[in-house]
Amino acid sequence: MRLPNIGQKFLDQPLRVKFFLSFMAVFTFGGIVSLFFGIRLEHRTIFDLAQAKVHHDLSSAWMVYNEKLNDIRDIVRLNSGRESVERALRAGDRKALEAALFRIRAEFGLDILTLTDAAGRVVLRLRNPGVFGDDQSLDPLIRRALRRATVVGTEIVPRRELLQEGEDLARRAELAVKPTPKAIPRPEFREENGLMLKAAAPIVDRDGTLLGAMVGGILLNRNYDIVDRVKDIVFKGERYKGKEIGTVTIFQNDLRISTNVTDERGQRAVGTRVSQEVYRTVLQEGNPWIGRAFVVSHWYITAYEPIRDLDGRIVGMLYVGMLEKPYIDLRNRVMLTFTGLAVLCTILLLVLLNMITTSMIKPLRRMVTATQRIAQGDLDHKVARQAQDEIGQLALSFNRMTDKLKEANDGLLQWTRTLEKRVEERSEDLRKMQDFLVQSEKLASMGKMAAGVAHEINNPLTSILLNTHLMLEKLEPSSPYTESLTLIADETTRCSHIVKGLLEFARQSPPQKVRADINSLLDRTVQLLENQAAFQNIIIIRQLQEDLPPLSLDRAKIQQVFWNLMINAAEAMAKGGTLMITSRLAADGRAVEVRFTDTGPGVPREILNKLFDPFFSTKSSGLGLGLAVCYGIVQGHLGAITVESEPGHGATFIVRLPVEDQAHS
Amino acid sequence: MINPKKVKILVVDDEITVCKSIRQAILSDEYEVDTALSGEEALKKDEEAAYPIVITDLMMPGLSGLNLLERLKARRPEVNVIMITGYPTIKTAVQAIKLGAFDYLPKPFTPAELRSLVGRAYKKTGIKDKQAEQIKMPSGLFYMLGHTWLKLEKGSIGVVGIVHEFTQPLTSFKQVELPEKGIFIAQGDLCGKIIDEEGLVHRIWSPAGGRVVEVNSKLKDEPGLLKSSPYQKGWLFRLETSNLEEDTTGLILSK
Repeated sequence: MRLPNIGQKFLDQPLRVKFFLSFMAVFTFGGIVSLFFGIRLEHRTIFDLAQAKVHHDLSSAWMVYNEKLNDIRDIVRLNSGRESVERALRAGDRKALEAALFRIRAEFGLDILTLTDAAGRVVLRLRNPGVFGDDQSLDPLIRRALRRATVVGTEIVPRRELLQEGEDLARRAELAVKPTPKAIPRPEFREENGLMLKAAAPIVDRDGTLLGAMVGGILLNRNYDIVDRVKDIVFKGERYKGKEIGTVTIFQNDLRISTNVTDERGQRAVGTRVSQEVYRTVLQEGNPWIGRAFVVSHWYITAYEPIRDLDGRIVGMLYVGMLEKPYIDLRNRVMLTFTGLAVLCTILLLVLLNMITTSMIKPLRRMVTATQRIAQGDLDHKVARQAQDEIGQLALSFNRMTDKLKEANDGLLQWTRTLEKRVEERSEDLRKMQDFLVQSEKLASMGKMAAGVAHEINNPLTSILLNTHLMLEKLEPSSPYTESLTLIADETTRCSHIVKGLLEFARQSPPQKVRADINSLLDRTVQLLENQAAFQNIIIIRQLQEDLPPLSLDRAKIQQVFWNLMINAAEAMAKGGTLMITSRLAADGRAVEVRFTDTGPGVPREILNKLFDPFFSTKSSGLGLGLAVCYGIVQGHLGAITVESEPGHGATFIVRLPVEDQAHS
Repeated sequence: MINPKKVKILVVDDEITVCKSIRQAILSDEYEVDTALSGEEALKKDEEAAYPIVITDLMMPGLSGLNLLERLKARRPEVNVIMITGYPTIKTAVQAIKLGAFDYLPKPFTPAELRSLVGRAYKKTGIKDKQAEQIKMPSGLFYMLGHTWLKLEKGSIGVVGIVHEFTQPLTSFKQVELPEKGIFIAQGDLCGKIIDEEGLVHRIWSPAGGRVVEVNSKLKDEPGLLKSSPYQKGWLFRLETSNLEEDTTGLILSK
């Protein structure tokens, strides 16, 4: 599973790299494809054009070639019809013939000009008048002329014949075969035959009697008229790097006999041979060759066509070729330009791509940074204002989302805080409730026990009290037992008071609440107590807040609470002191607080929480029910009574009474 | 006024020590004291002797004090039953008074307290019914039968006094003890004492609970007002009631 791995690796790359690679892939692929096809197309176009031109040039060459043939035919036909030639031939006057035709041969540059009689025997060889009388009736042209036809053609002329025309002609035709790359090896080292353009016409007198035939020809071997003329007409002597661009060649079979193709030394490459491929196509199969070909030492864009003799045998080839090198160079230049352009474009595109991806990635980067910041809890972070595109909208949505998130988060925080506070409040409430229940339970069980105890103890107390008194009654007042018995009677009475207190405590009735002004209750209680002996050395200061809301309470019971607290304070300050009484609305507005602060010795810390327990007392006398009763009463009012004290700095008893709930009153 | 014939008193309590102690306390020339340890026994003995004064405990196994009171009252309406209890609650006290008990005495008590009660009962037995109708209770008062009354003034303030039946058997008063101003008393609490010339102490039970706001200071000098003007000048104290609604349910409203 390699591919998915690579795919995964690609997907894991940063966006920038992915963008880059994707664009690169597209550009590279597109570039390569377009370069490939472009070059191919260009190549095709250039070479097709060149090939077409060459093909066309070959036609021009043929025209020149055929024109030359026609020239020869015209000369032969015109001169064969001359009267002087007729007459002299009929008369067999060789001298007269020679005189009549000598100028013609020289003037028109014919290599041979020969006359035969009607049987085909040579009457006069104008090139070599000394040789005559040989039979030429088998010559394809003369044979046709003797049948009264004027013919023209390209013929292979054997060395024997050439020798009859003269040693020099045979030597001109003779070529050394040069070893040529890509040519078919050939056993011969020399070519001795020649290739000749020939024309023949009958010589007929006025009566129509065939007198003989005239034949003229030009040896093509080492004759450069045609090829150079074609080159001049078609290529106008164009050169490329010192070399002729256009070349024209006439082959005798596969051998260059007339050419302007040059070899390494700059010599005309006569005697060299055609390449193997061309040989096969043109000489063996008789088809034209159009295409690249290796000519002597270079590649050419070429066209070859076979040259046939009168009997249709292939005797040679006509060739036109253009040097391939200029086209190759042109193609290479174009290719180079193309590639250069492509590279330049790619570089430009990469730069552009970099800019685009950067501009596209940058806002995304900012978003990523923003999300990271937010993930770290910085909900105030904002993505900077962006363009109006998708990313811009994303940023906008993102900012909106973080706003909402922050809102929700703040809400949650707020809620958590509220919840914490609530839990705290509830815990506090629960704790208070628990305290309340514990205290209530204490009181309730204490009450039950007190009732039982009271009943059980009162019977024996009755007996004790009655009998003690009876004994006292019977004793003389001076009796030594009187004191003891009086003590017993008093203590029994005290016991009965204790039991009575217990019963009172056990019998606490629910408060009868009426609307009351707490300050007037306090005032009245103070008035009742002021003159009592216990308050003789005590200064009472009242700081009562005015306009307190009226409370719903059992006046007698609350007054008893105040009474008890004030008596307690007075007892704590037996040697004198100050009792500060304050009333005020509690900070939360839900209760009225009454504080009784004395300047007594204070309450030791360890007994602070026992103060309100029934029967807990620090005084030698007293039942220890006063504060417990207060506690019960205040509790019955859904209030609270607490104490604060610093040992040595007095104590403060705080009574909290709830303000009547307006909604429920 | 001495009755040559000894008055028979029956003491009923499930504890023999209490019975014996009470018997010792009141045994005198005037009184002949029998004891019974249960309500049933008391009824049996009463059938034989018809006691004019019965002192009975409230809470006893079997026939309770209240049941006994009912049965005796049904038998002889003129019987004076003094209820004693070790577990005094206003409910039972009020109930007892309603059922016609002569008085109510919480345990423990001194011989003097008991004797004053018995003495009052003894005197009452000697008064003919015809003489008792000289004074009439005004209407609109809440009262405890044979004890105290409560007259409501404005708001929760009430005036407390003693009904004329209470003082009728007594000839004169040596001293009247009243509660201190400002103190709290509950319904059925001891709220005063009357000491007659014989030195007998008669206890007064408050008809309602609350704070004492004013005391009739004239009674100090003129204790006779208690008898001569029991519903006007002879009032005891002014009370700021704290539990009026509940307290009045246990009281009788005079017509």
